[in-house]
Amino acid sequence: MTWLFPLYLLGGAAIIGPILMHLRRKPPQDRVEFSSLMFLDAQTPMPVSKRRLENWLLLLLRCLALLLLVLMFARPLWRSENEDTVSQNQATVLLLDSSASMQRSDLWKQAVAAATQRLEKIAITDRLAVATMDCETKLLWSFDQDKTSASTRIATLKPQLAALKPGWSSTDLGQALVDAAGWFGSAQGLSGLRKRLVVITDFQEGARLDALRGMVWPENIAVEVVRVDAPNADNFTLSLVASAEESDAGNLARKAEAPTTRVRLSNTRDSNASDFKLAWDEGTESPITGYLPPGASRVVSLPGTTGILNLTGDAWDFDNLIYIAPSQPKVVKIVFIGDEKTRSEAASPLFYLSRALQQTPSLRPELTVVPESVANIPAGTELVFISGARLSAPLMQSVRASAEKGGLVIAVVTPEMKAQDLEALTGVSGVLINPSDPTDQSDQYQMLAEVQTAHPLLRPFADERLRDFTKLRFWKHRQLTLPKQAPLEVLARFDQGDPAILARSLGKGRIVLLTSGWHPADSQLALSTKFVPLLYGWLEAAGFRNEQAVSLLVGDVLPLEAATSIMTPDGQMLTPKAGDTIRAETPGIYTLAKDRLIAVNIAPEEGRITPMHLAKLRELGVRVEEGDVKAAASAKAEDKERLAITEQEAQQRAWIWLLGSLLAILAWETWLAGRIRQGTLQPAYSSP
Amino acid sequence: MSSHLDTSALARIRSLELRAKVIVEGLWKGMHRSPYHGFSVEFSEYRAYVQGDDPRYIDWKVLARSDRTYIKKFEDETNLRCQLVVDHSRSMSFNSGSMTKADYAATLAATMALFLMQQGDAVGVTTFGPTLQEHIPARNRPGHLRRLMLELEKPAPTGATSLDLSVSQLADLVRKRGLICLVSDLLAPVEKLERQLGLLGAMGHDVVLFHVMDRAEIDFSFDKAAHFRDAETGTERFIDPASAREVYLNRLNVHRDFIRRACERQGIEYHWTPTDTPIEHVLFDFLSARLKKKGGVARR
Repeated sequence: MTWLFPLYLLGGAAIIGPILMHLRRKPPQDRVEFSSLMFLDAQTPMPVSKRRLENWLLLLLRCLALLLLVLMFARPLWRSENEDTVSQNQATVLLLDSSASMQRSDLWKQAVAAATQRLEKIAITDRLAVATMDCETKLLWSFDQDKTSASTRIATLKPQLAALKPGWSSTDLGQALVDAAGWFGSAQGLSGLRKRLVVITDFQEGARLDALRGMVWPENIAVEVVRVDAPNADNFTLSLVASAEESDAGNLARKAEAPTTRVRLSNTRDSNASDFKLAWDEGTESPITGYLPPGASRVVSLPGTTGILNLTGDAWDFDNLIYIAPSQPKVVKIVFIGDEKTRSEAASPLFYLSRALQQTPSLRPELTVVPESVANIPAGTELVFISGARLSAPLMQSVRASAEKGGLVIAVVTPEMKAQDLEALTGVSGVLINPSDPTDQSDQYQMLAEVQTAHPLLRPFADERLRDFTKLRFWKHRQLTLPKQAPLEVLARFDQGDPAILARSLGKGRIVLLTSGWHPADSQLALSTKFVPLLYGWLEAAGFRNEQAVSLLVGDVLPLEAATSIMTPDGQMLTPKAGDTIRAETPGIYTLAKDRLIAVNIAPEEGRITPMHLAKLRELGVRVEEGDVKAAASAKAEDKERLAITEQEAQQRAWIWLLGSLLAILAWETWLAGRIRQGTLQPAYSSP
Repeated sequence: MSSHLDTSALARIRSLELRAKVIVEGLWKGMHRSPYHGFSVEFSEYRAYVQGDDPRYIDWKVLARSDRTYIKKFEDETNLRCQLVVDHSRSMSFNSGSMTKADYAATLAATMALFLMQQGDAVGVTTFGPTLQEHIPARNRPGHLRRLMLELEKPAPTGATSLDLSVSQLADLVRKRGLICLVSDLLAPVEKLERQLGLLGAMGHDVVLFHVMDRAEIDFSFDKAAHFRDAETGTERFIDPASAREVYLNRLNVHRDFIRRACERQGIEYHWTPTDTPIEHVLFDFLSARLKKKGGVARR
C-alpha cells in the first residue's frame, strides 16, 4: 500500500488533541439546584487535571475519526504491480563508471562517495554485486560471493573502491547494463527479490548503448542512474583521420614533399571554449591555432607524422594528447629467378614485377634477382617468383624448401617445363603439360572464368566491383592435364576450361602455378589493374599484411603475433604467454618485440562529455528511475510516476470507503456523546 | 387494573380538574370487583348482576318474584370529612422527570378530592410552607370542588418546610374528627413530627401520610461534580456525586425509616410515593388500605 499525499499522514499527530481533552477535567462550574442539602456534606473541589482517561470509547471513536480523516486525505492506494508480491529485500548491482571521462575534476571522488553511501545503505539481507564498467565490465563483488560472505562485504569492498582509479577506456554503458541484467538472471537465490541496478556515472553522450538494441530489457529490473556532474562540459575531442597520402596512394611526390598528419577536432555542443591550439609535444613547428564553435567539427592538417600531438584551449585535459607511432614498413625479401638484365626490358616479366612491388606504409618489398645458375636462393627469402627460367635440381629443392618453411612460391609454367620439373616443384606427380599451345591453334585469346574469389589468395577480388575480368586477355597459356584427385587446387580457369591459376599448400607455405605469364607476350595481366592487387593479395596470404601504421584505441587487444615482450608506455615489460590476450590500458606508445611501435589513443567518443538525457535509455526500453540527478531532470519522470499512481488511486477510490467509515464513526460518536451527556445531565430546577 | 396513565402522559393534561377526572374515571372503569359497595342506608338503584359482582348484594326477593338476578345498590350517608394538607415549600418544585413534586402532590390531592366528593364526602384543602398558607375547610356543596382545584393549582411554592409549626396550626384549625391526608416530601427535621402527628391522632383524626419524592432524590443519580444549591435555604455546597452518593442514600434511608416507624407507632397510614408512580396506583393502594381498615372511609 502507498499514499498519494503521504505528507498528510503527519496530521495523524492530531489525535493527541482528543487525548488531552479527555485527560483534562473542567473545573466544576455547574450549579445544580437541589431540593435539600440536609443529607449532603460539603466537599473540596477536585484538581483540574486527572490521570485517568474517562469515556475511553468516546475517545477511541474520536481518535479513529481523526485518523480516518488523515488517511482519507493521504489517499491510500494499492500498487497492482508485481513488486507488491515480492519481498522487500533487494538484489542490487552497483555499476561504477571507470571510463576516461571520469578523470575529470572530482568526478571519481563523487562516484566513489556515492558508491560507498549506497553500499552502506544496503541491508545485510539484501544481495549485492559490484562492478566497474568502461569498455568492458569488471566484476568486483559477485552475487555468489555476497551469498556466502554478505557480512564482510563492506569491509572488503570499501578498501577496494578506495584503491580504484578511473582508466582510459571508452564507456560501453549498453554492454555493462546487458552484463548486469545477465547476472540477475544467472545468480541463484534472487527470485522474489526486487532487482535494482544502480549506475554511478557521468552519463556522457559518448557512452555507447548499442548493446541494448539487441535485447528486451527485463521488466522487473529497475535502473537507477546516479549522475555525477562536472562543473562544465567544455571539451575538444581529437582523433586521427586517414592521411591524405593513404587516400591518394599514387601521389608519391607529394608524400615526399610534405608529410602531414590529419586530425579531426570536435567541440562539445554546449561548450564555452572555442579557441584551440594544436602543437607537437617535441617539435620546432609553430603551433596551429584556430577557432572551433560549439558543436562543430573540423579536420586539421599539420606537418609532421609522428610524435605526440597536444591540444590546449578546453577545460579538460584527459583526451588532449594523441600519440602517433612512426610508420614501420616490414621488409619482405622477394627473389626473382632470372636474368637481372631484363629488369629494364619491357617484354620481360621482371620489368613489371619490379615496378609493381612498391613500398607501402607497412610493407617494403626488397626484390633480388637470382640467376638460374645458383644452387640456392638467399636465406630468409619469403617470396619466390619463377617465370621463364629453367631451374636446376638443387635450386628447385631450395625453392621448395623455402615454401615448406612458410614462404610463397609463384611459378609460371613454360613450354620448356617438363612433368618432372613440376613434380619436383609441387610434389604432385602425373601432371601433364601439353607441348602445343591450344591458343595458337585456335587463334583466339582466353579470358579468366570461374575465379574462386573466396580463396585467400584471390581475396582482393572479393569485392563484386573488382570482379570484372573481361578486359584481361590471355594470348598464350599451357594446357595442364591434372590427374584425378591431385592435391592441386584450381583457383581460376580460362573460359575454355583449362586451369589458369593453381595452388597447393606445401608444408607451412604455398606454391602457386600460373599457366600463363603476366608479361605481354603471354597476357595483358601485368598491364591490367588486377596485377598489383593480385600481387599484394598473395603477399597478404603469405602473412604480410598491408595494414596501416598501427594505431589502436585503449581497450583494444595488442597484436602479439610474434612478439615475445611488450613494453607499455610507462616502461613496464610484459611477457605474454601463448594464447594470452593483452589489452592496451593506457594511451601512449607500446613497443612490441623491441622495434615495433604501436600508438594507443583514447577513443574519440570518450571526449563527448555533454550529459546525455535519460530518455535515451528509456527509448531503448530500460526501466529507468531517478537517482541523485538534478531535480530538473528528475521532475518529468516523477510527474509520470505521480500520474500513474494518481490514475490507480482514482480507480481504487479507497477514500470513499474511508469517508463512509468516517461518517459512520462520527454518527456513532455523536450518538454516544449525546447519550453520555444526557446520562450526566443534572435534573433541571424548574423556575417558579 | 388493566391500564393506567403514567405520570408523563398525565403531565401533558394542563387542567388539574381534568387530570383528576381522567384518573378517577380510569380507576372506576378498571375495577371489576368494587371494593366500595358495601351496605348503605338509602337505596340507590337496581342493576343487573354481572359475573364478578358480590353475590351478597343480590336482591333475593326480586329473584324470587321475577326470576331475574338484580343487584341492589345503596347510597351511603356520609359523615366523612377529609382535609388534604399539601406541602407548598420550595423543595417541592424539584423534578427530574416530567412532573415536579408539587405538580404530583397537587394532582394526587385533586384526584382524591374529586373521588371523595363524588362519593359525597366533604373535602377541604390546606397548603403550607414555613407556616400554614391557605386553609379551605372541608365541605360538600356544589362549587366547592372548583374552589379546591383553584387553590391546588396555585403555582407559587415559597420558603422552607416547617412541618412542626404547620401541623400544630392545623390541629388548631381542624377540630371535627375526620381524615387528614398529608402530602409532603418531608425534607425537614422530623424530630417533633411524631409528636405533632400523634396529637392529630389523639384528636380522633385518621392521618394518612403521602411521602412524595423525586426519583433523582431517591437514587441520587447525578454524575458530574457541581455546586449544589439548596432550594429552600439557598446555601451552596460543592458535591461530587460519586463520593457523596453513599452517605446521601444512607442518611435518606435513615430519615425515611424514622418517619415510617414513627407512623407505625402513631397508627398513621404511610404511603411511599415516588413521583414516577402512577397516581391510580397510589389511589388504589390508599383505597385498599382504607377498606381493610374497618370502619374506614368507605363504610357501605
